[in-house]
Amino acid sequence: MPEETKKPDEKNGRNGGLLGQFKGDLAALKTDLPAKAKEQVELLSKPTKTQLYTSIFRHKHDDTPRNRALGVLSNVFLHLHPAKINRDAVRYSYTWGMGGITFYLFFVLTLTGVLLMFYYHPSKVQAFRDVLYLEHDVPYGKLLRNMHRWAAHLMVIAVELHMFRVFLTGSYKKPREFNWTVGVILLVLTLLLSFTGYLLPDDQLGFWAVTVGTNMARATPLLGHEGPFGSQLGMTPYNDVRFGLLGGSIVDANALLRSYIWHCIGIPIIASVFMIVHFWRVRKDGGISGPAPVVLDSEIKEAKK
Amino acid sequence: MAVPESDAVKPKPDAAKSPAAGDKDPTKYVGTPAVGTSKAAPAGGVASVGPEPSEANEGRRRLVWCAVTAFLGAWFIAFLRFFLPRTLFEPPTVFKIGYPSDYALGVDTKWQQKYRIWVDRTPDRIFVIYARCTHLGCTPDWKAGENKFKCPCHGSGYDSEGVNFEGPAPRPMDRANVQIAPDGQIIVDTSRLYQWPKGQQSHFNDPGSFLPV
Amino acid sequence: MDWKQLWEILSAPDNVPIIAMIPLLAFYIYLGWKQAHANDLLIDELAANPGLAKTHHRKTWPFKPGWQKEVHVWPFLLRIEFLAAIIVTIILMVWSITLNAPLEEPANPNLTMNPAKAPWYFLGLQEMLVYFDPWIAGVVMPTLIIIGLMVIPYIDTNPLGGGYYTWKQRKFAISTFLFGFVILWVSMIFIGTFIRGPGWQWFWPGQTWDHNRLIYEVNRDLPDIFGITSNLWKGIFGAVVVGGYFVVGGLLTNSMFRRTNPKDYKRMSLLQYSIMMSFFLIMVALPIKMLIRLLFHIKYVWITPWFNV
Repeated sequence: MPEETKKPDEKNGRNGGLLGQFKGDLAALKTDLPAKAKEQVELLSKPTKTQLYTSIFRHKHDDTPRNRALGVLSNVFLHLHPAKINRDAVRYSYTWGMGGITFYLFFVLTLTGVLLMFYYHPSKVQAFRDVLYLEHDVPYGKLLRNMHRWAAHLMVIAVELHMFRVFLTGSYKKPREFNWTVGVILLVLTLLLSFTGYLLPDDQLGFWAVTVGTNMARATPLLGHEGPFGSQLGMTPYNDVRFGLLGGSIVDANALLRSYIWHCIGIPIIASVFMIVHFWRVRKDGGISGPAPVVLDSEIKEAKK
Repeated sequence: MAVPESDAVKPKPDAAKSPAAGDKDPTKYVGTPAVGTSKAAPAGGVASVGPEPSEANEGRRRLVWCAVTAFLGAWFIAFLRFFLPRTLFEPPTVFKIGYPSDYALGVDTKWQQKYRIWVDRTPDRIFVIYARCTHLGCTPDWKAGENKFKCPCHGSGYDSEGVNFEGPAPRPMDRANVQIAPDGQIIVDTSRLYQWPKGQQSHFNDPGSFLPV
Repeated sequence: MDWKQLWEILSAPDNVPIIAMIPLLAFYIYLGWKQAHANDLLIDELAANPGLAKTHHRKTWPFKPGWQKEVHVWPFLLRIEFLAAIIVTIILMVWSITLNAPLEEPANPNLTMNPAKAPWYFLGLQEMLVYFDPWIAGVVMPTLIIIGLMVIPYIDTNPLGGGYYTWKQRKFAISTFLFGFVILWVSMIFIGTFIRGPGWQWFWPGQTWDHNRLIYEVNRDLPDIFGITSNLWKGIFGAVVVGGYFVVGGLLTNSMFRRTNPKDYKRMSLLQYSIMMSFFLIMVALPIKMLIRLLFHIKYVWITPWFNV
């Protein structure tokens, strides 16, 4: 900052004083600018020390135990994990990773699904044509549709393998009983997601699969018009539980729209709520159940009745 | 990773104390039992914890991260391209509007609802005005009583030939390509428009912008 | 042996996941069994050697004294999770590039495909429609399966086996689950995908799917075999048969359970035991009903004016 300038005094008059000041500013610029430029280059050569960087990444990333823990605990995406886990729980052969794989596939399905929604109209007139349009006229549309369908199949397989593994390792026993129950609900929701999505291309495959499926609904005891005791309770094809599901007595435009909304919004929201509970309970119940040390039968003390 | 070591099952009754620092047993974490503390590396007698920072390891690390970044980058570009479909199903821009003899002098509004155009006949030519205000795109009204087009959105006014004279419109309304079909009807193509930008040359006399009569 | 027909079925895009699931399931059963076996050997050894039982770290993986029991999630768990995500993505992308999702003709309510199959994960239930009425196969069974699964942790009183693979310590639980999952659920899916053809008729692999084949099945109802004609007696007879199944089956299962799982038998409350019994007997009733239908051509066992079983 220019310090010494010619003070505006009466002798030089106002103009002379200002001009003098201006000349002084220019001279100061000549010396200060290079110094400032050098300072700036030095600052930018250490990007991790800039205010921008440190405001985003609040902790150091060198390899100390404290930073390893912080890297997980203070990260919004990762802090579901604990800071440390049992050394043997890292082994793939114990957990099979199926829970995590299921969640990853859910994320892939959401992403591909949202993209597919940009080109799909849930109306009888357009649905089938939109799928053809996606496959032929939209760049990468075919790939996206394939990814969505196969990820859905993989997710059903993964969720069933996850259930299988949790059963084999007895990870539903105390205190994890409730989490198993939540998991069964998630299994049902996964199957329902797949089922509602099946109808959306409005092709013969989807249409008849859903017809077969919802025809079972009319056979519900008490609530279906063809189920035991249904007609006695006044159930007809126009007010029974199947009607409520389809929005009509036939699989038509209303059924398509309802399927679309359940598939894209309704069930994902419900499933997200249950997933939140499910992941939360894993941590609260003590994390991954094992591998735990084996217990001998002789060591079990019978609880006093 | 999946094979349980059978030697761990053999009896080991000696409860060994923590081994001396500097022990290079590859099955141990460095710095045992200081693992997890800030003293891990010196307690293990090595320079740092984790895989050694060798050239090969640096190279492998770089390769993996480059591959992941390239993959995600390719996905991102595909994501962008996904939003631009190759074909569209929009209303046709080429259509017939009858014979020149169907139109009297002046402005004819009979195709305004269907095709968004006015047919304008002057003593020496027939041309088609595309009914879009050049200000912000509203559809002006033809006020026959006042012999002018008036846009309801911000008040732009155009004369009976579509040339602007009042309001915020920057230039006259565009004119559509017109031709005579083999059967004598007028064919209009609203995907090809002729403009008269302010201060620049007018295209209203280009071939195709009018039909001489 | 119609290879073309076989290939057509196996290469249908929606059938590929099931073809993939079979070896996958086999692999994971093997992985689980391997660890269960190793653990069981360890358990035997520890049971025989109390001194060892006191000092051993009780796992089949290595652990030296002085080792830390826990490792940092970052990097050790996260790098494996990252690797799993990468591998799953690669499998998904390769699969999506090579195989196209199916798209049949536009929906036509007036023309049913033959066979009209539910999505593969519901084929097990669709197979049940052969043996049971829609309200049972389509509503009651799925409900019972869901409730039965949910109830498992609350009726399993065995404190052993929590957190590690074992066969010896949980024989009943594991064999029951394997029966329900692999033998009933998965095989029914397999049958529904590869064996059931036009008209939902049985076609062995390699048999041509002949749409005009007609196998005339003569199925009788159990009361008719016994010459019962009045509706009232049909109802009573059926009730006796079904009730008798539960009673006799229940007593047999009770004897078996009491001998093989004496400790659990003592631990379980009456409610837990009854729930376990009911679900177990209902589950076993499925293959029994399937067998009497396939072998003896018996359709209904219990006939009432309101429902038939």
